[in-house]
Amino acid sequence: MTKKTMRRALQALLDVVGVLLGCLVMFPVFYGILGAFKTPAEFISDPPTVLPQSFCNLQNFSTVFSQVPMLRYFLNSLITATLTSVVRLAVAALAAYAFSFFSFRGQGVLFFLILGTMMLPADTLLIANYQTVSHLGLLDTYLGICIVSFVGASQMFMLRQHFKAAPVSVREAAQIDGCGDIRFIVSILLPMSLPLLLILFVQSFVAQWNTYLWPLLVTNTTAMRTVQVGITMLTTIEGTNYETVLAGATVAMIPAALLFIGMRRSLTASLDDGALAG
Amino acid sequence: MRQAHVSGHRRGIWETLKPYLFLLPMLVLAAGFVYYPFLKTALQSVSTVNFRGDVTGFAGLENFRYLFSRREFGIAVRNTLKLMLINVPVTLFVTIFLAWFSHRRRPLSFLYETMFSLPMTVSMAAITLIFKVLLNPTVGYVNYALGLNVGWYTDRHTAMAGILMLTVWMGIGFNYLLFLSAFRGIPEDLIGSARLEGAGALRILFQLQLPLISPTILYVLCTNMIQAMMTSGPILILTQGGPSRSTTTLIYLMYTAGYRSSNYSLAAAVSLITFGMTLTFTVLLFMLEKRRVHYQ
Repeated sequence: MTKKTMRRALQALLDVVGVLLGCLVMFPVFYGILGAFKTPAEFISDPPTVLPQSFCNLQNFSTVFSQVPMLRYFLNSLITATLTSVVRLAVAALAAYAFSFFSFRGQGVLFFLILGTMMLPADTLLIANYQTVSHLGLLDTYLGICIVSFVGASQMFMLRQHFKAAPVSVREAAQIDGCGDIRFIVSILLPMSLPLLLILFVQSFVAQWNTYLWPLLVTNTTAMRTVQVGITMLTTIEGTNYETVLAGATVAMIPAALLFIGMRRSLTASLDDGALAG
Repeated sequence: MRQAHVSGHRRGIWETLKPYLFLLPMLVLAAGFVYYPFLKTALQSVSTVNFRGDVTGFAGLENFRYLFSRREFGIAVRNTLKLMLINVPVTLFVTIFLAWFSHRRRPLSFLYETMFSLPMTVSMAAITLIFKVLLNPTVGYVNYALGLNVGWYTDRHTAMAGILMLTVWMGIGFNYLLFLSAFRGIPEDLIGSARLEGAGALRILFQLQLPLISPTILYVLCTNMIQAMMTSGPILILTQGGPSRSTTTLIYLMYTAGYRSSNYSLAAAVSLITFGMTLTFTVLLFMLEKRRVHYQ
Protein backbone atom coordinates (compact mmCIF):
# COMPACT_ATOMS: atom_id res chain seq x y z
CA MET A 1 0.00 0.00 0.00
CA THR A 2 1.28 3.44 -0.87
CA LYS A 3 1.43 6.21 1.65
CA LYS A 4 -1.41 8.00 -0.07
CA THR A 5 -3.89 5.15 0.18
CA MET A 6 -2.81 4.60 3.79
CA ARG A 7 -3.65 8.20 4.59
CA ARG A 8 -6.94 7.96 2.78
CA ALA A 9 -7.85 4.82 4.73
CA LEU A 10 -6.99 6.57 7.98
CA GLN A 11 -9.20 9.53 7.04
CA ALA A 12 -12.07 7.19 6.24
CA LEU A 13 -11.58 5.41 9.56
CA LEU A 14 -11.60 8.73 11.44
CA ASP A 15 -14.76 9.68 9.56
CA VAL A 16 -16.45 6.51 10.76
CA VAL A 17 -15.30 7.16 14.34
CA GLY A 18 -16.66 10.70 14.02
CA VAL A 19 -20.08 9.54 12.91
CA LEU A 20 -20.16 6.98 15.75
CA LEU A 21 -19.21 9.69 18.27
CA GLY A 22 -21.91 11.90 16.77
CA CYS A 23 -24.46 9.14 17.25
CA LEU A 24 -23.33 8.72 20.85
CA VAL A 25 -23.79 12.44 21.54
CA MET A 26 -27.15 12.46 19.80
CA PHE A 27 -28.27 9.17 21.34
CA PRO A 28 -30.64 10.75 23.90
CA VAL A 29 -32.32 12.78 21.14
CA PHE A 30 -32.64 9.75 18.83
CA TYR A 31 -33.91 7.68 21.75
CA GLY A 32 -36.55 10.31 22.49
CA ILE A 33 -37.73 10.61 18.90
CA LEU A 34 -37.79 6.83 18.33
CA GLY A 35 -39.54 6.23 21.63
CA ALA A 36 -42.32 8.57 20.58
CA PHE A 37 -43.39 5.99 17.98
CA LYS A 38 -43.63 3.08 20.42
CA THR A 39 -46.78 1.49 21.80
CA PRO A 40 -47.20 1.19 25.58
CA ALA A 41 -46.61 -2.56 25.34
CA GLU A 42 -43.35 -2.03 23.45
CA PHE A 43 -42.21 0.40 26.06
CA ILE A 44 -42.43 -1.92 29.01
CA SER A 45 -41.06 -4.89 27.03
CA ASP A 46 -38.10 -6.68 28.54
CA PRO A 47 -35.37 -6.18 27.35
CA PRO A 48 -36.02 -2.54 26.40
CA THR A 49 -35.60 -1.66 22.74
CA VAL A 50 -34.44 1.47 20.95
CA LEU A 51 -36.15 1.07 17.59
CA PRO A 52 -39.95 1.07 17.46
CA GLN A 53 -41.69 -1.76 15.60
CA SER A 54 -43.34 0.67 13.22
CA PHE A 55 -43.07 4.35 12.38
CA CYS A 56 -46.76 4.44 11.48
CA ASN A 57 -47.85 4.53 15.11
CA LEU A 58 -48.79 8.20 15.52
CA GLN A 59 -51.05 7.52 18.48
CA ASN A 60 -48.70 9.21 20.97
CA PHE A 61 -48.61 12.42 18.96
CA SER A 62 -52.37 12.61 18.77
CA THR A 63 -52.53 11.91 22.52
CA VAL A 64 -50.19 14.88 23.11
CA PHE A 65 -52.43 17.17 21.09
CA SER A 66 -55.60 15.94 22.79
CA GLN A 67 -54.29 15.82 26.38
CA VAL A 68 -52.99 19.39 26.32
CA PRO A 69 -53.77 22.30 23.96
CA MET A 70 -50.48 21.84 22.12
CA LEU A 71 -51.44 24.07 19.18
CA ARG A 72 -52.18 26.90 21.58
CA TYR A 73 -48.79 26.33 23.29
CA PHE A 74 -47.10 26.48 19.89
CA LEU A 75 -48.86 29.73 19.06
CA ASN A 76 -47.85 31.21 22.43
CA SER A 77 -44.21 30.18 21.96
CA LEU A 78 -44.18 31.47 18.39
CA ILE A 79 -45.61 34.85 19.41
CA THR A 80 -43.36 35.34 22.44
CA ALA A 81 -40.19 34.14 20.70
CA THR A 82 -40.83 36.40 17.70
CA LEU A 83 -41.84 39.43 19.77
CA THR A 84 -38.83 39.05 22.06
CA SER A 85 -36.35 38.70 19.21
CA VAL A 86 -37.75 41.60 17.17
CA VAL A 87 -37.91 44.03 20.09
CA ARG A 88 -34.53 42.93 21.45
CA LEU A 89 -32.85 43.50 18.09
CA ALA A 90 -34.63 46.81 17.49
CA VAL A 91 -33.63 48.16 20.91
CA ALA A 92 -30.08 46.87 20.44
CA ALA A 93 -29.80 48.35 16.94
CA LEU A 94 -30.90 51.81 18.12
CA ALA A 95 -28.36 51.75 20.95
CA ALA A 96 -25.64 50.43 18.65
CA TYR A 97 -26.43 53.25 16.20
CA ALA A 98 -25.95 55.86 18.94
CA PHE A 99 -22.63 54.35 19.99
CA SER A 100 -21.20 54.01 16.50
CA PHE A 101 -22.26 57.27 14.79
CA PHE A 102 -22.28 59.84 17.61
CA SER A 103 -19.87 61.04 20.21
CA PHE A 104 -21.53 62.38 23.32
CA ARG A 105 -20.95 63.04 27.00
CA GLY A 106 -21.13 59.93 29.18
CA GLN A 107 -20.65 57.62 26.21
CA GLY A 108 -18.14 55.35 27.94
CA VAL A 109 -20.12 55.13 31.18
CA LEU A 110 -23.38 54.32 29.40
CA PHE A 111 -21.65 51.73 27.24
CA PHE A 112 -20.30 49.88 30.25
CA LEU A 113 -23.58 50.27 32.09
CA ILE A 114 -25.30 48.39 29.26
CA LEU A 115 -22.57 45.74 28.95
CA GLY A 116 -22.64 45.43 32.74
CA THR A 117 -26.10 43.86 32.51
CA MET A 118 -24.32 40.71 31.35
CA MET A 119 -22.66 40.45 34.77
CA LEU A 120 -26.01 40.04 36.53
CA PRO A 121 -27.39 36.56 35.77
CA ALA A 122 -31.12 36.64 34.98
CA ASP A 123 -31.78 33.70 37.32
CA THR A 124 -30.74 35.66 40.40
CA LEU A 125 -33.14 38.46 39.40
CA LEU A 126 -36.07 36.12 38.86
CA ILE A 127 -38.02 36.79 42.04
CA ALA A 128 -37.55 40.57 41.99
CA ASN A 129 -38.58 40.72 38.32
CA TYR A 130 -41.59 38.59 39.14
CA GLN A 131 -42.69 41.23 41.65
CA THR A 132 -42.21 44.03 39.08
CA VAL A 133 -44.15 42.23 36.37
CA SER A 134 -46.85 41.37 38.88
CA HIS A 135 -47.14 45.03 39.99
CA LEU A 136 -47.36 46.13 36.35
CA GLY A 137 -50.32 43.78 35.96
CA LEU A 138 -48.49 41.79 33.30
CA LEU A 139 -48.82 38.33 34.83
CA ASP A 140 -50.23 35.85 32.35
CA THR A 141 -49.68 38.14 29.33
CA TYR A 142 -47.40 37.87 26.31
CA LEU A 143 -45.69 41.13 27.25
CA GLY A 144 -45.04 39.77 30.73
CA ILE A 145 -43.34 36.70 29.30
CA CYS A 146 -41.18 38.77 26.94
CA ILE A 147 -40.38 41.98 28.77
CA VAL A 148 -37.47 40.73 30.90
CA SER A 149 -35.67 39.47 27.78
CA PHE A 150 -35.73 42.72 25.80
CA VAL A 151 -32.29 43.82 27.00
CA GLY A 152 -29.72 42.32 24.64
CA ALA A 153 -26.32 43.70 25.60
CA SER A 154 -24.35 41.17 23.59
CA GLN A 155 -26.54 41.82 20.53
CA MET A 156 -25.96 45.55 20.98
CA PHE A 157 -22.21 44.94 21.18
CA MET A 158 -22.07 42.83 18.02
CA LEU A 159 -24.21 45.27 16.05
CA ARG A 160 -21.99 48.14 17.16
CA GLN A 161 -18.89 46.29 15.96
CA HIS A 162 -20.63 45.78 12.65
CA PHE A 163 -21.94 49.34 12.30
CA LYS A 164 -18.51 50.75 13.09
CA ALA A 165 -17.11 48.91 10.11
CA ALA A 166 -19.52 50.79 7.84
CA PRO A 167 -17.74 53.73 6.24
CA VAL A 168 -18.69 57.11 7.73
CA SER A 169 -18.94 58.45 4.18
CA VAL A 170 -22.07 56.35 3.64
CA ARG A 171 -23.87 58.18 6.44
CA GLU A 172 -22.54 61.56 5.37
CA ALA A 173 -23.72 61.01 1.83
CA ALA A 174 -27.11 59.93 3.12
CA GLN A 175 -27.35 63.04 5.33
CA ILE A 176 -26.52 65.35 2.45
CA ASP A 177 -29.31 63.69 0.52
CA GLY A 178 -31.62 64.69 3.37
CA CYS A 179 -31.94 61.18 4.74
CA GLY A 180 -33.03 61.26 8.41
CA ASP A 181 -31.63 58.97 11.08
CA ILE A 182 -34.51 56.51 11.21
CA ARG A 183 -34.64 56.28 7.43
CA PHE A 184 -30.88 55.78 7.32
CA ILE A 185 -31.11 52.95 9.86
CA VAL A 186 -34.07 51.25 8.24
CA SER A 187 -33.18 51.57 4.58
CA ILE A 188 -29.38 51.51 4.56
CA LEU A 189 -27.80 50.32 7.81
CA LEU A 190 -30.03 47.35 8.60
CA PRO A 191 -30.08 45.93 5.05
CA MET A 192 -26.28 46.20 5.10
CA SER A 193 -26.21 44.10 8.29
CA LEU A 194 -28.79 41.56 7.22
CA PRO A 195 -26.61 38.41 7.59
CA LEU A 196 -25.64 39.34 11.14
CA LEU A 197 -29.22 40.33 12.01
CA LEU A 198 -30.48 37.00 10.73
CA ILE A 199 -28.04 35.07 12.91
CA LEU A 200 -28.82 37.17 15.96
CA PHE A 201 -32.51 36.66 15.29
CA VAL A 202 -32.19 32.88 15.06
CA GLN A 203 -30.06 32.80 18.20
CA SER A 204 -32.60 34.93 20.10
CA PHE A 205 -35.54 32.99 18.76
CA VAL A 206 -34.10 29.61 19.74
CA ALA A 207 -33.15 30.88 23.20
CA GLN A 208 -36.60 32.33 23.82
CA TRP A 209 -38.36 29.29 22.35
CA ASN A 210 -36.45 27.09 24.78
CA THR A 211 -36.76 29.22 27.91
CA TYR A 212 -38.56 27.53 30.78
CA LEU A 213 -38.28 29.00 34.25
CA TRP A 214 -39.53 32.54 33.59
CA PRO A 215 -42.61 31.56 31.52
CA LEU A 216 -43.43 28.99 34.20
CA LEU A 217 -43.27 31.73 36.84
CA VAL A 218 -45.36 34.41 35.12
CA THR A 219 -48.09 32.32 33.53
CA ASN A 220 -50.78 30.57 35.51
CA THR A 221 -53.50 29.66 33.03
CA THR A 222 -53.36 26.86 30.49
CA ALA A 223 -54.09 29.27 27.65
CA MET A 224 -50.88 31.22 28.27
CA ARG A 225 -48.42 28.36 28.75
CA THR A 226 -45.56 28.02 26.28
CA VAL A 227 -44.49 24.75 24.63
CA GLN A 228 -41.63 24.13 27.06
CA VAL A 229 -43.82 24.60 30.11
CA GLY A 230 -46.64 22.70 28.45
CA ILE A 231 -44.70 19.53 27.75
CA THR A 232 -43.60 19.20 31.37
CA MET A 233 -47.29 19.37 32.30
CA LEU A 234 -47.67 16.08 30.42
CA THR A 235 -45.86 14.27 33.22
CA THR A 236 -48.38 15.37 35.82
CA ILE A 237 -51.55 14.50 33.89
CA GLU A 238 -53.18 11.28 34.98
CA GLY A 239 -53.05 8.55 32.34
CA THR A 240 -50.12 9.87 30.34
CA ASN A 241 -47.12 7.62 30.11
CA TYR A 242 -43.53 7.56 28.88
CA GLU A 243 -44.26 7.42 25.17
CA THR A 244 -46.60 10.39 25.35
CA VAL A 245 -44.00 12.41 27.23
CA LEU A 246 -41.39 11.56 24.60
CA ALA A 247 -43.80 12.52 21.81
CA GLY A 248 -44.30 15.88 23.55
CA ALA A 249 -40.55 16.40 23.86
CA THR A 250 -40.10 15.49 20.17
CA VAL A 251 -42.73 17.97 19.05
CA ALA A 252 -41.12 20.71 21.15
CA MET A 253 -37.64 20.05 19.71
CA ILE A 254 -38.56 20.24 16.04
CA PRO A 255 -38.86 23.99 15.25
CA ALA A 256 -35.57 25.03 16.87
CA ALA A 257 -33.69 22.08 15.40
CA LEU A 258 -34.99 22.78 11.87
CA LEU A 259 -34.10 26.45 12.17
CA PHE A 260 -30.61 25.49 13.31
CA ILE A 261 -29.98 22.95 10.58
CA GLY A 262 -31.20 25.44 7.98
CA MET A 263 -28.91 28.15 9.35
CA ARG A 264 -25.92 25.96 10.23
CA ARG A 265 -23.65 27.26 7.49
CA SER A 266 -24.12 30.92 8.30
CA LEU A 267 -23.98 30.16 12.02
CA THR A 268 -20.59 28.48 11.81
CA ALA A 269 -19.38 31.12 9.36
CA SER A 270 -20.29 33.85 11.84
CA LEU A 271 -18.49 31.96 14.59
CA ASP A 272 -15.39 31.97 12.46
CA ASP A 273 -15.68 35.76 12.34
CA GLY A 274 -15.97 35.75 16.12
CA ALA A 275 -19.42 37.34 15.93
CA LEU A 276 -20.97 35.09 18.55
CA ALA A 277 -17.98 34.70 20.79
CA GLY A 278 -18.52 38.00 22.62
CA MET B 1 -30.96 85.69 9.20
CA ARG B 2 -32.20 85.66 12.76
CA GLN B 3 -34.58 82.87 12.10
CA ALA B 4 -31.86 80.82 10.51
CA HIS B 5 -29.73 81.36 13.57
CA VAL B 6 -32.49 80.20 15.94
CA SER B 7 -33.19 77.10 13.94
CA GLY B 8 -29.49 76.41 13.80
CA HIS B 9 -29.31 76.65 17.58
CA ARG B 10 -32.31 74.40 17.97
CA ARG B 11 -30.72 71.92 15.62
CA GLY B 12 -27.65 71.99 17.89
CA ILE B 13 -29.68 70.96 20.95
CA TRP B 14 -31.46 68.34 18.89
CA GLU B 15 -28.14 66.96 17.67
CA THR B 16 -26.87 66.79 21.25
CA LEU B 17 -29.97 65.01 22.50
CA LYS B 18 -30.28 62.59 19.64
CA PRO B 19 -27.82 59.88 20.77
CA TYR B 20 -29.50 59.79 24.19
CA LEU B 21 -32.89 59.33 22.54
CA PHE B 22 -31.60 56.36 20.58
CA LEU B 23 -30.22 54.89 23.79
CA LEU B 24 -33.37 55.55 25.79
CA PRO B 25 -35.23 52.23 25.20
CA MET B 26 -32.15 50.20 26.07
CA LEU B 27 -31.39 52.26 29.16
CA VAL B 28 -34.99 52.14 30.44
CA LEU B 29 -35.18 48.37 29.98
CA ALA B 30 -31.74 47.76 31.51
CA ALA B 31 -32.64 49.96 34.47
CA GLY B 32 -36.08 48.42 34.95
CA PHE B 33 -35.32 44.73 34.50
CA VAL B 34 -31.66 44.37 35.44
CA TYR B 35 -30.40 47.11 37.76
CA TYR B 36 -33.64 47.84 39.60
CA PRO B 37 -34.32 44.17 40.46
CA PHE B 38 -30.71 43.80 41.54
CA LEU B 39 -30.92 46.77 43.91
CA LYS B 40 -34.32 45.58 45.09
CA THR B 41 -32.90 42.14 45.85
CA ALA B 42 -30.05 43.73 47.78
CA LEU B 43 -32.51 45.90 49.72
CA GLN B 44 -34.93 43.06 50.46
CA SER B 45 -32.12 40.87 51.75
CA VAL B 46 -31.56 43.27 54.65
CA SER B 47 -35.24 44.05 55.26
CA THR B 48 -38.39 42.47 56.51
CA VAL B 49 -40.73 41.98 53.57
CA ASN B 50 -44.41 41.04 53.58
CA PHE B 51 -45.99 38.45 51.32
CA ARG B 52 -46.82 41.10 48.70
CA GLY B 53 -43.17 42.06 48.42
CA ASP B 54 -43.43 45.40 50.28
CA VAL B 55 -40.53 46.29 52.54
CA THR B 56 -41.87 46.71 56.09
CA GLY B 57 -38.70 47.35 58.06
CA PHE B 58 -34.94 47.07 58.40
CA ALA B 59 -33.66 43.67 59.45
CA GLY B 60 -29.90 44.09 59.26
CA LEU B 61 -28.23 40.75 58.76
CA GLU B 62 -31.07 38.84 60.40
CA ASN B 63 -32.17 37.21 57.11
CA PHE B 64 -28.65 35.96 56.50
CA ARG B 65 -28.30 34.71 60.08
CA TYR B 66 -31.57 32.82 59.73
CA LEU B 67 -30.48 31.44 56.36
CA PHE B 68 -27.11 30.24 57.68
CA SER B 69 -28.85 28.50 60.57
CA ARG B 70 -30.98 26.39 58.24
CA ARG B 71 -29.58 23.01 57.32
CA GLU B 72 -30.87 23.10 53.76
CA PHE B 73 -28.82 26.20 53.00
CA GLY B 74 -25.54 24.43 53.72
CA ILE B 75 -26.73 21.47 51.69
CA ALA B 76 -27.67 23.75 48.77
CA VAL B 77 -24.26 25.46 48.83
CA ARG B 78 -22.50 22.10 48.86
CA ASN B 79 -24.67 20.68 46.07
CA THR B 80 -24.23 23.77 43.88
CA LEU B 81 -20.45 23.75 44.33
CA LYS B 82 -20.29 20.03 43.65
CA LEU B 83 -22.33 20.44 40.50
CA MET B 84 -20.17 23.32 39.29
CA LEU B 85 -16.82 21.71 40.16
CA ILE B 86 -17.66 18.52 38.28
CA ASN B 87 -19.68 19.96 35.41
CA VAL B 88 -17.17 22.61 34.31
CA PRO B 89 -14.06 20.43 33.85
CA VAL B 90 -16.02 17.54 32.33
CA THR B 91 -17.74 19.82 29.80
CA LEU B 92 -14.42 21.44 28.99
CA PHE B 93 -12.73 18.08 28.44
CA VAL B 94 -15.54 16.64 26.30
CA THR B 95 -15.99 19.70 24.08
CA ILE B 96 -12.26 20.29 23.56
CA PHE B 97 -11.84 16.63 22.68
CA LEU B 98 -14.70 16.70 20.16
CA ALA B 99 -13.45 19.94 18.60
CA TRP B 100 -9.87 18.67 18.41
CA PHE B 101 -11.06 15.44 16.85
CA SER B 102 -13.11 17.18 14.17
CA HIS B 103 -11.20 20.38 13.41
CA ARG B 104 -9.44 18.95 10.33
CA ARG B 105 -11.98 18.75 7.54
CA ARG B 106 -12.81 15.28 6.22
CA PRO B 107 -15.42 14.08 3.74
CA LEU B 108 -18.04 13.44 6.44
CA SER B 109 -17.12 16.40 8.68
CA PHE B 110 -20.39 18.21 8.03
CA LEU B 111 -22.33 15.24 9.40
CA TYR B 112 -20.71 14.95 12.79
CA GLU B 113 -20.13 18.68 13.13
CA THR B 114 -23.92 19.00 12.98
CA MET B 115 -24.44 16.12 15.41
CA PHE B 116 -21.97 17.55 17.94
CA SER B 117 -23.54 21.02 17.82
CA LEU B 118 -27.22 20.10 17.61
CA PRO B 119 -27.60 19.73 21.42
CA MET B 120 -27.51 23.53 21.60
CA THR B 121 -30.94 23.74 19.97
CA VAL B 122 -32.60 21.17 22.22
CA SER B 123 -34.52 22.82 25.01
CA MET B 124 -33.81 22.08 28.64
CA ALA B 125 -37.40 20.92 29.17
CA ALA B 126 -37.36 18.46 26.24
CA ILE B 127 -34.01 16.85 27.03
CA THR B 128 -34.86 16.70 30.73
CA LEU B 129 -38.01 14.72 29.95
CA ILE B 130 -36.03 12.41 27.67
CA PHE B 131 -33.42 11.80 30.39
CA LYS B 132 -36.23 11.10 32.81
CA VAL B 133 -37.30 8.18 30.63
CA LEU B 134 -33.77 7.20 29.57
CA LEU B 135 -32.63 6.88 33.20
CA ASN B 136 -35.87 5.35 34.44
CA PRO B 137 -34.87 2.36 36.60
CA THR B 138 -37.35 -0.07 35.02
CA VAL B 139 -38.08 0.93 31.41
CA GLY B 140 -35.03 3.15 30.77
CA TYR B 141 -32.35 2.08 28.35
CA VAL B 142 -29.25 3.16 30.29
CA ASN B 143 -29.61 0.67 33.14
CA TYR B 144 -30.24 -2.10 30.63
CA ALA B 145 -27.34 -1.18 28.32
CA LEU B 146 -24.86 -0.83 31.18
CA GLY B 147 -26.21 -3.79 33.13
CA LEU B 148 -26.92 -1.58 36.14
CA ASN B 149 -29.69 -1.60 38.67
CA VAL B 150 -29.63 2.04 39.73
CA GLY B 151 -32.57 4.26 40.71
CA TRP B 152 -30.88 7.42 39.36
CA TYR B 153 -33.27 10.29 40.10
CA THR B 154 -35.08 8.35 42.83
CA ASP B 155 -31.97 7.48 44.83
CA ARG B 156 -30.25 10.16 46.86
CA HIS B 157 -26.80 8.72 46.12
CA THR B 158 -27.18 8.84 42.34
CA ALA B 159 -29.61 11.72 41.73
CA MET B 160 -26.82 14.31 41.47
CA ALA B 161 -24.89 12.08 39.04
CA GLY B 162 -28.02 11.90 36.89
CA ILE B 163 -28.41 15.69 36.96
CA LEU B 164 -24.73 16.07 36.02
CA MET B 165 -25.06 13.77 33.01
CA LEU B 166 -27.92 15.94 31.85
CA THR B 167 -26.24 19.32 32.41
CA VAL B 168 -22.99 18.20 30.78
CA TRP B 169 -24.96 17.04 27.76
CA MET B 170 -26.74 20.40 27.55
CA GLY B 171 -23.40 22.21 27.49
CA ILE B 172 -21.92 20.29 24.58
CA GLY B 173 -23.38 22.05 21.53
CA PHE B 174 -22.44 25.68 21.82
CA ASN B 175 -19.09 25.16 23.55
CA TYR B 176 -18.12 22.63 20.91
CA LEU B 177 -18.82 25.19 18.18
CA LEU B 178 -16.72 27.81 19.99
CA PHE B 179 -13.76 25.44 20.31
CA LEU B 180 -14.14 24.23 16.74
CA SER B 181 -13.84 27.74 15.36
CA ALA B 182 -10.95 28.45 17.77
CA PHE B 183 -9.04 25.39 16.52
CA ARG B 184 -9.74 26.34 12.92
CA GLY B 185 -8.64 29.91 13.57
CA ILE B 186 -5.05 28.77 14.21
CA PRO B 187 -2.96 29.54 11.10
CA GLU B 188 -2.36 26.38 9.09
CA ASP B 189 1.37 27.09 8.53
CA LEU B 190 2.07 27.14 12.30
CA ILE B 191 0.80 23.57 12.59
CA GLY B 192 2.49 22.60 9.33
CA SER B 193 5.94 23.77 10.39
CA ALA B 194 5.60 22.06 13.78
CA ARG B 195 4.72 18.88 11.97
CA LEU B 196 7.74 19.26 9.66
CA GLU B 197 9.92 19.46 12.76
CA GLY B 198 8.57 16.05 13.70
CA ALA B 199 6.10 17.02 16.43
CA GLY B 200 3.31 14.46 16.94
CA ALA B 201 -0.39 15.30 17.13
CA LEU B 202 -0.46 15.25 20.94
CA ARG B 203 2.60 17.46 21.26
CA ILE B 204 1.08 19.93 18.81
CA LEU B 205 -2.14 19.88 20.85
CA PHE B 206 -0.53 20.56 24.23
CA GLN B 207 2.29 22.87 23.22
CA LEU B 208 0.74 24.78 20.35
CA GLN B 209 -3.01 24.49 19.98
CA LEU B 210 -4.18 24.61 23.61
CA PRO B 211 -2.08 27.69 24.47
CA LEU B 212 -3.35 29.40 21.32
CA ILE B 213 -7.00 28.75 22.13
CA SER B 214 -6.63 29.71 25.81
CA PRO B 215 -8.81 32.84 25.41
CA THR B 216 -11.68 30.60 24.29
CA ILE B 217 -10.95 28.24 27.19
CA LEU B 218 -11.22 31.12 29.63
CA TYR B 219 -14.47 32.28 28.04
CA VAL B 220 -16.01 28.79 28.20
CA LEU B 221 -14.79 28.31 31.78
CA CYS B 222 -16.51 31.54 32.81
CA THR B 223 -19.82 31.07 31.01
CA ASN B 224 -20.04 27.42 32.05
CA MET B 225 -19.24 28.23 35.64
CA ILE B 226 -22.00 30.86 35.73
CA GLN B 227 -24.46 28.50 34.08
CA ALA B 228 -23.62 25.68 36.49
CA MET B 229 -24.05 27.99 39.49
CA MET B 230 -27.55 28.80 38.18
CA THR B 231 -28.68 25.18 37.68
CA SER B 232 -32.33 24.86 38.63
CA GLY B 233 -34.56 23.90 35.68
CA PRO B 234 -33.80 20.16 35.51
CA ILE B 235 -34.12 19.96 39.29
CA LEU B 236 -37.51 21.63 39.18
CA ILE B 237 -38.74 19.15 36.57
CA LEU B 238 -37.02 15.96 37.72
CA THR B 239 -36.36 15.82 41.42
CA GLN B 240 -37.89 18.82 43.23
CA GLY B 241 -34.58 19.11 45.08
CA GLY B 242 -34.82 15.54 46.42
CA PRO B 243 -34.56 12.73 47.22
CA SER B 244 -33.79 13.95 50.75
CA ARG B 245 -32.41 17.27 49.45
CA SER B 246 -29.60 15.60 47.53
CA THR B 247 -30.22 17.84 44.49
CA THR B 248 -31.30 21.08 46.19
CA THR B 249 -29.29 23.89 44.60
CA LEU B 250 -29.10 27.56 45.53
CA ILE B 251 -31.33 28.85 42.73
CA TYR B 252 -33.81 26.05 43.41
CA LEU B 253 -33.84 27.12 47.06
CA MET B 254 -34.37 30.75 45.98
CA TYR B 255 -37.23 29.68 43.74
CA THR B 256 -39.01 27.71 46.44
CA ALA B 257 -38.46 30.38 49.11
CA GLY B 258 -39.57 33.25 46.90
CA TYR B 259 -42.20 31.81 44.66
CA ARG B 260 -43.72 28.95 46.61
CA SER B 261 -43.51 30.39 50.13
CA SER B 262 -43.53 34.12 49.23
CA ASN B 263 -40.66 34.59 51.67
CA TYR B 264 -39.10 37.35 49.60
CA SER B 265 -36.41 38.46 52.04
CA LEU B 266 -35.09 34.92 52.33
CA ALA B 267 -35.16 34.46 48.54
CA ALA B 268 -33.32 37.77 48.16
CA ALA B 269 -30.62 36.66 50.61
CA VAL B 270 -30.11 33.39 48.74
CA SER B 271 -30.01 35.23 45.40
CA LEU B 272 -27.46 37.75 46.67
CA ILE B 273 -25.20 35.02 48.04
CA THR B 274 -25.39 33.09 44.76
CA PHE B 275 -24.52 36.26 42.89
CA GLY B 276 -21.61 36.99 45.25
CA MET B 277 -20.20 33.49 44.88
CA THR B 278 -20.49 33.61 41.09
CA LEU B 279 -18.80 37.00 40.93
CA THR B 280 -15.98 35.79 43.20
CA PHE B 281 -15.34 32.76 40.97
CA THR B 282 -15.34 34.96 37.86
CA VAL B 283 -12.77 37.30 39.39
CA LEU B 284 -10.67 34.32 40.53
CA LEU B 285 -10.71 32.84 37.03
CA PHE B 286 -9.52 36.09 35.52
CA MET B 287 -6.80 36.46 38.16
CA LEU B 288 -5.64 32.93 37.46
CA GLU B 289 -5.47 33.71 33.76
CA LYS B 290 -3.48 36.89 34.38
CA ARG B 291 -0.97 35.08 36.56
CA ARG B 292 -0.55 32.26 34.12
CA VAL B 293 0.11 34.64 31.27
CA HIS B 294 2.42 36.72 33.46
CA TYR B 295 4.65 33.83 34.43
CA GLN B 296 4.93 32.45 30.94
